Amino acid sequence: MLDIAFAKPVLPKSGALVLPLAEGAALAGLAATLDAVMEGGLTRALEAAAFKGKKGQSVTLWAPQGGITKLVVIGVGAMESADIEKLGGNLLPMVSSEPHATVAADGLSAAQAASLAMGAVLRSYRFDRYRTTEKAEDKPKLTKLTIATAEATATKSAYVPMKAVAEGVFLARDLVSEPANILTPVEFAERLKGLEKLGLGVEVLGPKEMKKLGFGALLGVAQGSINEPRMVVMRWNGSGKKKTEKPLCFIGKGVTFDTGGISIKPAGGMEDMKWDMAGAGTVAGLMAALAGRKAKCDVVGIVGLVENMPGHNAQRPGDVVTSASGQTIEVINTDAEGRLVLADVIHYAIEKHDPAFMVDLATLTGAIIVALGHEHAGLFANDEELAARIIAAGIAVGEAAWRMPLGEAYDKQIKSDIADMKNVGGGRAGGSITAAQFIQRFVQGRPWAHLDIAGTAWSSKDAPTCPKGATAYGVRMLDRMVADHYE
Amino acid sequence: MLKPRREPSTGALLLRPIALPHPSGFLGRPGEVLEISPSERWVGSDVASSPADWERVGASCIAAAGDAPRVALDARGLSPPFATALALGAVLRAWRFERLKSHGTKAPRRIEWIVDDPAAVAPDWAQAEAVLAGVAFARELVAEPGNHLTPRAFTHRLRALREEGIEVEVLKRKALQRLGAGGLLAVGQGSVHPPRLVVLRWKGSFAAPPVAFIGKGICFDTGGISIKGATGMEAMRADMAGAAACAGAVLALARRRSPCPAVAVLAIAENATSGQAYRPGDVLRMMSGRSVEVVDTDAEGRLVLADALHYAATRCKPQAMLDLATLTGSVVTALGHHRAGLFGNDAALGAVVAAAGEVVGERVWPLPIGERHREDLKSDIADLRQCVPAGTRFTSDASHAAAFLREFVGGLPWAHLDIAAMDTAETEGMLAAKGTPTGFGVRLLDALVARHFEDPHRV
Repeated sequence: MLDIAFAKPVLPKSGALVLPLAEGAALAGLAATLDAVMEGGLTRALEAAAFKGKKGQSVTLWAPQGGITKLVVIGVGAMESADIEKLGGNLLPMVSSEPHATVAADGLSAAQAASLAMGAVLRSYRFDRYRTTEKAEDKPKLTKLTIATAEATATKSAYVPMKAVAEGVFLARDLVSEPANILTPVEFAERLKGLEKLGLGVEVLGPKEMKKLGFGALLGVAQGSINEPRMVVMRWNGSGKKKTEKPLCFIGKGVTFDTGGISIKPAGGMEDMKWDMAGAGTVAGLMAALAGRKAKCDVVGIVGLVENMPGHNAQRPGDVVTSASGQTIEVINTDAEGRLVLADVIHYAIEKHDPAFMVDLATLTGAIIVALGHEHAGLFANDEELAARIIAAGIAVGEAAWRMPLGEAYDKQIKSDIADMKNVGGGRAGGSITAAQFIQRFVQGRPWAHLDIAGTAWSSKDAPTCPKGATAYGVRMLDRMVADHYE
Repeated sequence: MLKPRREPSTGALLLRPIALPHPSGFLGRPGEVLEISPSERWVGSDVASSPADWERVGASCIAAAGDAPRVALDARGLSPPFATALALGAVLRAWRFERLKSHGTKAPRRIEWIVDDPAAVAPDWAQAEAVLAGVAFARELVAEPGNHLTPRAFTHRLRALREEGIEVEVLKRKALQRLGAGGLLAVGQGSVHPPRLVVLRWKGSFAAPPVAFIGKGICFDTGGISIKGATGMEAMRADMAGAAACAGAVLALARRRSPCPAVAVLAIAENATSGQAYRPGDVLRMMSGRSVEVVDTDAEGRLVLADALHYAATRCKPQAMLDLATLTGSVVTALGHHRAGLFGNDAALGAVVAAAGEVVGERVWPLPIGERHREDLKSDIADLRQCVPAGTRFTSDASHAAAFLREFVGGLPWAHLDIAAMDTAETEGMLAAKGTPTGFGVRLLDALVARHFEDPHRV
């Protein structure tokens, strides 16, 4: 992870320097100092470049003064409405060719300066484990970013919990980016076991234990693969109470690869299905974030990890499976497997942990992309307060969720002729809603929300605080929700 | 068709809403029917507590009556609003379209409405009848097949609304060319039946900017050069349901002498394939002056609506615009057949539209227009493109369509209802028999006007 340092606002002796400048603002602080040292050279340069401080504007000067190798002046727009975190993300690629950069944050509050650092760190993520021939000069060189601020101490303490969250985001992005031949359910569980060093209690259940628990739905999905399924329970006891009561509960779908099974998917784009475990990746990242910043509440995160393969023992369309809740399910489409996994995990969560609420995350349906696109995840909930809190937290961190409906009319679509329910709702109509209705049948009326993140877990283009690829959507949103309401 | 009486006549099948259990196993639940005698059937009405509930009970009564030619609907003991709701549901469900059947046409069903006091229910019923007229008008239009309801025939039917005190203006091809309605003209150019823009005006009684309804009226949609698959294409005769609903709503307002001025702008065309048809890749100059790249000729609804919206915004100066359109398959995937998609640029208007829909049981659900949706419409050759090319597996086309339309509303308060899943009843147990037109939108628009635009002090 990019190393962040905090220092008094003095001109750096080496490396790059970034000067954020608001629209119409006069040069002040470090910028004014530099301009003076340059004998008005900065003012002249900005005039020559017609730089007005507008959002998206920037001016680059090479070796402007002393040991400074590169100077980037970046427009902030109107200071009052500026998104400082995005600014941090946007400035990063401009200095990533330098080993060290300093950002003049002397015009920002401590909280803003910390957000700027957070934005830069989030953008700096790179998954290059499998690039063996990349030349050194093609790699980003930036290893250290110094935030120059008069309030270095306050900024640093504001940044400490943010850094823990960023680590959670990176963990989730790593897991989601890993290909499926590396990240099998067993390997996934192994990596989560490693979170014990953060103080999390991690318990791993294999097929034997799950069979004993009656996980017919989850095991039905897993049986077509040679890779054994796992369920991993991560516990964070942050309240300090000996006996945890009513923990918050986050549940993730972790299909490490989804071929669709016997109802096999078309070849085009199937490689994307390595990230069909993004719900589980997000829950893991969230648990790491909460533990890393020592959140003062009790939380349990549970992920169901399986691979959906069309092996010779794979489940078939028409099969009827018995879930841990005792409810029977007719499997109409083996590619609607995520809800089968969630059904058993949710039942387990209720029976074993008696949670205050449950939020599940899953790359569940293509229909949610058709409904909402890639900017919003679909939010389904049976609890207004929980839904409102999730939406508000999402807005605060830039991970948007859009409420979708539930209702009896949709529930009727999953009636089965042979079992208690079927796993798809007949046709494409309302596909993500019928999926949510299916899950709701296992929550026993408990406060519950379901985030369908199929459209938001992966990005095909760079965003200010997220390079293209795995987004870790949900880690920051749910961390924020916990921080705002449950500590 | 409906006759209020104090007692059922002899020989009529009595249909009684019952909320109590019977030893036979009948529990009184909604949808349950008990044949208590050859001349009497009980219909479950347990937990009916709102007009919308009683409408459904009324519909169940008619569904339970089978082929009986004369039925008596027992509304005794119900308050006038509930008794009216029961009758409204029954009449809506009893609606049939049999004009084109030459044999075996049944006589129109006569419904006796058994009430405690016919005078007491009369005022409520008068209101309901106005709405019913609007719904029936819309349903007839939707039911008509494409060879019968050509743009010319559609226009002819709309002209008949003059008898209702509605002003009807018809803009034909020449007038559309003068206006530069490049979207509507392009979509219509592949058909031998030229397109029309029809404007309906209801004056109302107070001086205020009108509420504008804008309707997509594609009399038949083959998809054009981007032709649709054969399966299910016959349903595309209903691709004018948005325009039909807008016309029906204006009729309802006229029938009940609504004080609110209203205008409907209906874009009517046939999207056919021919040597004259417009092509993918064509660039159109719209009425607003914007250039639009055509990507898919089957995304024609947004093109005709764009011109209609621009016309309404600039010529009618409305206080609010609502467009209704069977616009995208994507909204069906999103919300299924139980809610229409609601889009817009004005949260307050969206909220009152949704509330009006809940009241009359024409439910909607808000969907987003995101920044990305607008970005996706950037064109390499024109000001914008009409949709995102097919081929990407999952695209949020309903939101893209809404983002496209928003470019033509001139910043006025606007709501867009994508009713693609709602024009035809998909299941039994609705206020229309399965497979028949619903008239979705008429009641919503009428209720919206009644609830929010009839207070002269508001405007």
